[in-house]
Amino acid sequence: MPDRAKPLLSVRNLKKYFPIRRGVFSRIAAYVKAVDDIGFDINQGETFGLVGESGCGKTTAGRAILRLIEPDAGTIRFDGVNLLQLRKHELRRKRRDMQLIFQDPYASLNPRMTIRSIVGEPFAIHRLAGGLEREHRVADLLNIVGLDPTMMNRYPHEFSGGQRQRIGIARALALKPKLIVADEPVSALDVSIQAQIINLLADLQQQFGLTYLFISHAIPVIEHISTRIGVMYLGKLVEVGTSAQICLAPKHPYTQALLSAVPTPDPAAKKQRIVLRGEVPTPINPPSGCRFHTRCPIAVERCKTEEPPLRQIEAGRDVSCHLV
Amino acid sequence: MTSVLEVKNLKTYFYTEEGIIKAVDDVSFNLPKGTTLGLVGESGCGKTVTAMSITRLLSAPGRIVGGEILFNGCDLLSKSAKEMRQVRGAQIAMVFQEPMTALNPVLQVGFQIAEVVLAHQNVSKREAWARAVEAMKAVSIPDAENRAKDYPHLLSGGMRQRIMIAMALVCHPALIIADEPTTALDVTIQAQILELLDSLREQYQLSLILISHDLGVVAEVAETVAVMYAGRIVEIGPVMDIFHNPKHPYTEGLLRSVPRLGSSAQKKDRLEVIEGMVPNLLRLPDGCSFAPRCYKRTVECTLSPIPLEHVSKSHEARCIHA
Repeated sequence: MPDRAKPLLSVRNLKKYFPIRRGVFSRIAAYVKAVDDIGFDINQGETFGLVGESGCGKTTAGRAILRLIEPDAGTIRFDGVNLLQLRKHELRRKRRDMQLIFQDPYASLNPRMTIRSIVGEPFAIHRLAGGLEREHRVADLLNIVGLDPTMMNRYPHEFSGGQRQRIGIARALALKPKLIVADEPVSALDVSIQAQIINLLADLQQQFGLTYLFISHAIPVIEHISTRIGVMYLGKLVEVGTSAQICLAPKHPYTQALLSAVPTPDPAAKKQRIVLRGEVPTPINPPSGCRFHTRCPIAVERCKTEEPPLRQIEAGRDVSCHLV
Repeated sequence: MTSVLEVKNLKTYFYTEEGIIKAVDDVSFNLPKGTTLGLVGESGCGKTVTAMSITRLLSAPGRIVGGEILFNGCDLLSKSAKEMRQVRGAQIAMVFQEPMTALNPVLQVGFQIAEVVLAHQNVSKREAWARAVEAMKAVSIPDAENRAKDYPHLLSGGMRQRIMIAMALVCHPALIIADEPTTALDVTIQAQILELLDSLREQYQLSLILISHDLGVVAEVAETVAVMYAGRIVEIGPVMDIFHNPKHPYTEGLLRSVPRLGSSAQKKDRLEVIEGMVPNLLRLPDGCSFAPRCYKRTVECTLSPIPLEHVSKSHEARCIHA
């Protein structure tokens, strides 16, 4: 069982605003509030799913946590240290423990590098294994992700999408990380290949005790793989809970609408669909009060002025809604 | 019921330097008036090439080498390029996946819809514009009069897809082919667009071919479903039969391998997978092209091509073990 008392990753009040510059003097005209004060814990060995529609800030959140983009505020405690206080070289050292798997297996592998050098590069960067030992390690890694090590000298274009994603996973595993941020790792793959990669990720978690931050817009995938889920809307977390809490009994009206919009591969399932009016507002000038009030089917006067805090409504479940 | 579209033994091959790719190989189906056919399969299975063949939008090295495409009884394959232009847009319209690349960024969206009217009907520009606005209202675009003067970049993905649908709809075609119409959209917007397509179908007695890789989308809107694999239809039948009583191991595998909403009610298991990968269309195995990945495979599967056979009155599968 994961150690409930000590989260591996603990994010508090994380903010990332992107300035929009206008005019001759590049004056800052406004901010895109991509991630606006979010916080959550991920326990050792669990998978935390971050779900939401495009532009909700889930990818920015994932990258800000790894400091691939510098957050504007907040604390990120990872494995006992606050990542935001680390100096560059300290951060680089720490990065061994946290790796990223990308969405697009076509864009995330250098086409001019062989698989041997792609998967071996983390060792080169961190000056770890060299020569024959690196070769052995790369072969091991390829075996682990289900690829034939004899293909080591090939280039990415010789592999299919699913195989490329396996290569990306092997690279992420190279330094035996504790945390892996997986940003839409299966979204670009066909259905039958998607299932293979999801199973691989689950097996690796078991085998190496990995902790995942799994970012996706595909709700059934998130539900399948996650221990707990955070739902994002316009830069905010609107609901956090266990996979079952979120997917079987959603409380926030946005979560409810989102789930009801997911098409089910069962023609007999006649469900009550909550069709949301309109579209997601821009994060430059998010609506006042509750950011969801412009589309919320149950919004009242109070929602327009007063921002609902994320508060605990039962053990392990937080919701930000005045009416829950 | 009369058929709007009958596709018989369609073969579309691509003649490449490496060899002949049989992208669509002996595909047949019937589309009764006012119904929706869902065409599902993974990338490269031939679903888009089937659509392109019907509208004759293929370019070299692709060529239709056999079969018939009967649209309201007349064979589209015997039409000249000029005659085809009169069919396209007016009687058969298409909605594409990428609403950004399918629209011209430097023209007002209203003008782009009006262009379709001007191409097919002898009306004034003013009249064409009015019809464009009317079509935009039909697809529930608020404030259509003013939105018509907008350029595509001002509109969101969902709105652009509505424009594409308005463009398809404006000449009141008998058939709309929608190729992954919601794949680029968020789920809440996808729900809106699917609902719109379905209500338009009813309102205008449209027939619809919906191409998608998403089994959920197809389950929600299609009456008949055709599952394609490596250029062939491997199973076709009423939506209930395909999803509740699949006969082809590939269909079965696909349905089992998708994670479903509500799965956390049960203990989490591994997903069932279809082992291996889609075969290279240049080197298809003899016999059943799914055989190398199939759990029911026997020697008979690999000997000769497997025909599509009836398993019930309206349900066919290309499998000797069905």
